[in-house]
Amino acid sequence: MWTFGRKIAAGFTLAFLLLLGIGGVSYRSISALTSTSQLVTHTHQVLEHIAEVLGLLKDAETGQRGYLIAGDETYLEPYRTAIDGLPKVAKELRDLTADNANQQKRMDEAEPVIAARLAVLKRVIEVRREAGLEVAAKDIRLGEGKRLMDDLRRILAQMEREERDLLKQRAGEAEAASSGAKSTIIYGTAFCLVFVMAAGFFITRSLSGQIGAAVRHVQSSSAELQSAANQQASGAKESSTAMNEITTTISELLATSRQIAESAQRVAHVAEETSAAARSGDTTVQKSHESVNSIKRQVDLIVTHMLDLGKKSQQIGGILEIINELAEQTNILAINATIEASGAGDAGKRFAVVADEIRKLADRVGGSTKEIRVLIEEIRAAVNTTVMATEGGSKAVDLGARQFAEVTAALRQITELLGTTTAAAREIELSTKQQTTAVEQVNIAVSDVAKAAKETEVSSGQTLQTAGQLAGLSRDLTRLIQATASA
Amino acid sequence: MEDLLAIRVSRDAYAIRVSEISGLATDRKIVAFPSPIPELLGVAGIRGALVPVYSLAMLLGYNAETERTRWLALCGTEDPVALAFSDFEGYVRVPLTQLYAAEQKDVARTHVEHVVRATDMVRAVVGIPLIRKTIQRRCANDGVSKER
Repeated sequence: MWTFGRKIAAGFTLAFLLLLGIGGVSYRSISALTSTSQLVTHTHQVLEHIAEVLGLLKDAETGQRGYLIAGDETYLEPYRTAIDGLPKVAKELRDLTADNANQQKRMDEAEPVIAARLAVLKRVIEVRREAGLEVAAKDIRLGEGKRLMDDLRRILAQMEREERDLLKQRAGEAEAASSGAKSTIIYGTAFCLVFVMAAGFFITRSLSGQIGAAVRHVQSSSAELQSAANQQASGAKESSTAMNEITTTISELLATSRQIAESAQRVAHVAEETSAAARSGDTTVQKSHESVNSIKRQVDLIVTHMLDLGKKSQQIGGILEIINELAEQTNILAINATIEASGAGDAGKRFAVVADEIRKLADRVGGSTKEIRVLIEEIRAAVNTTVMATEGGSKAVDLGARQFAEVTAALRQITELLGTTTAAAREIELSTKQQTTAVEQVNIAVSDVAKAAKETEVSSGQTLQTAGQLAGLSRDLTRLIQATASA
Repeated sequence: MEDLLAIRVSRDAYAIRVSEISGLATDRKIVAFPSPIPELLGVAGIRGALVPVYSLAMLLGYNAETERTRWLALCGTEDPVALAFSDFEGYVRVPLTQLYAAEQKDVARTHVEHVVRATDMVRAVVGIPLIRKTIQRRCANDGVSKER
């Protein structure tokens, strides 16, 4: 974003550049006009000199004629003036036309003619003076003088015509230069005026806008400052009130601190008693722990015996299988004996009775082995149940032992913590006393803060006043900008 | 009074008359050999002789038993055959009044002429002579087919 100085400098720089351009163009036009005017003056000088040459020759002729007619030397005055002035005028004419080759060439032609004409005039005057009027008139009638004069008139007329042409041309150029200079000055000035007005308009508008925005910002800021100062003033009042409340609270805090110190003393005493009780509990738990360990050993023994019992019952089962097999074989033999006995007819009847008894015995043995197997299965099931229950008991005992260990550890921890609690209670007591001292110091500090709050209240009033002045200032500035904008 | 052996064939309860068998054996090694008769399980050595062993279950119309047939009932004295079955439940002696004539309804029942109520259950009494006739018929049929 461009600053004010930069915008204004840019506007002035552009205006200056435009003026410089217009001045340069005008200077150039005026220089051309001056140059052309000088050339016109020069041409007029040349024309004057041409006329002067011709006039001086006429004067010389006039003086000669007067002397010829009157014979009086006084009539030769114009002649003598022309004789003296002509070389100078001719030289000036040559110098004036030095940059014109045509005129120089004509001057080359004119100068011998002038010299010849002057020589003819001088000769006729001499003839009149020495031989009289008639002889001189005779010389004149020869017409040499007239012919020379005619030549000179022709040459000078050519020079005058060329100079007239140059004059016409230079007058046109002077007119054109003058017209160009006028146009440059008029249009350049008008353009510059329009530009300066436009630049002035835009710069003014931009500056008004920016300053107006800044002023509005200042206005809003001063309003906020005013509001903040109001809040600060009310806050300072509230702070003052709060400080009074804090003073009261601190007094209560002081009394509470003293009560805490007394309570901490009591806590330390109770903690010591509890610590002694925990140590006693620890001893009791140690004894219980030993008892539980003894129970655990007994339970482990029971489990071992029960497992032995299970193994023994398995061995009994194996023996029973053998007995059962023997009973089955006996049964088969008895059946076969019965079959054989029945095949033997009457001779085998008594054998059949024996075989039948053997079969019945085998049946009873088989039935007994079945019953024993059932009983053994029940014993094994009972042993398994007992083993499982005992293992459960063992686990419960383990758990109890672990819990006892945890209880012991917890009691030790309680003892340690109670030691820590006692120390902490003593530290609390000490700290509370220090706190009481600190609170008294805080009370003094709070009084100082209350004073400071009152001073803050006063200073917020001053801030409020300053904010009001700032708001008035911004309003004045706004009016100034609006007036400038409207102007 | 009638002496019977209570047995199980494919888990069904049967009985055989003691008077119709010539012996009872168990846990004998049965050596299988190729035969067109599917009921013939092989031969086993019983009482110093090689005896053909037949599956009682297959003869009664069941499929071959999946359980081990460890029991053998020896039938006949001159051309003995052994009938294999899986379970022997015991020796029972019942009065003849407990024996009832059986209804002829299916293949299994073609070898059953009586049923008996013993040990609180009803058992079909397998007729060993009928079984032997069936075996003989199967062997004869097999011999005819071979001649052709």
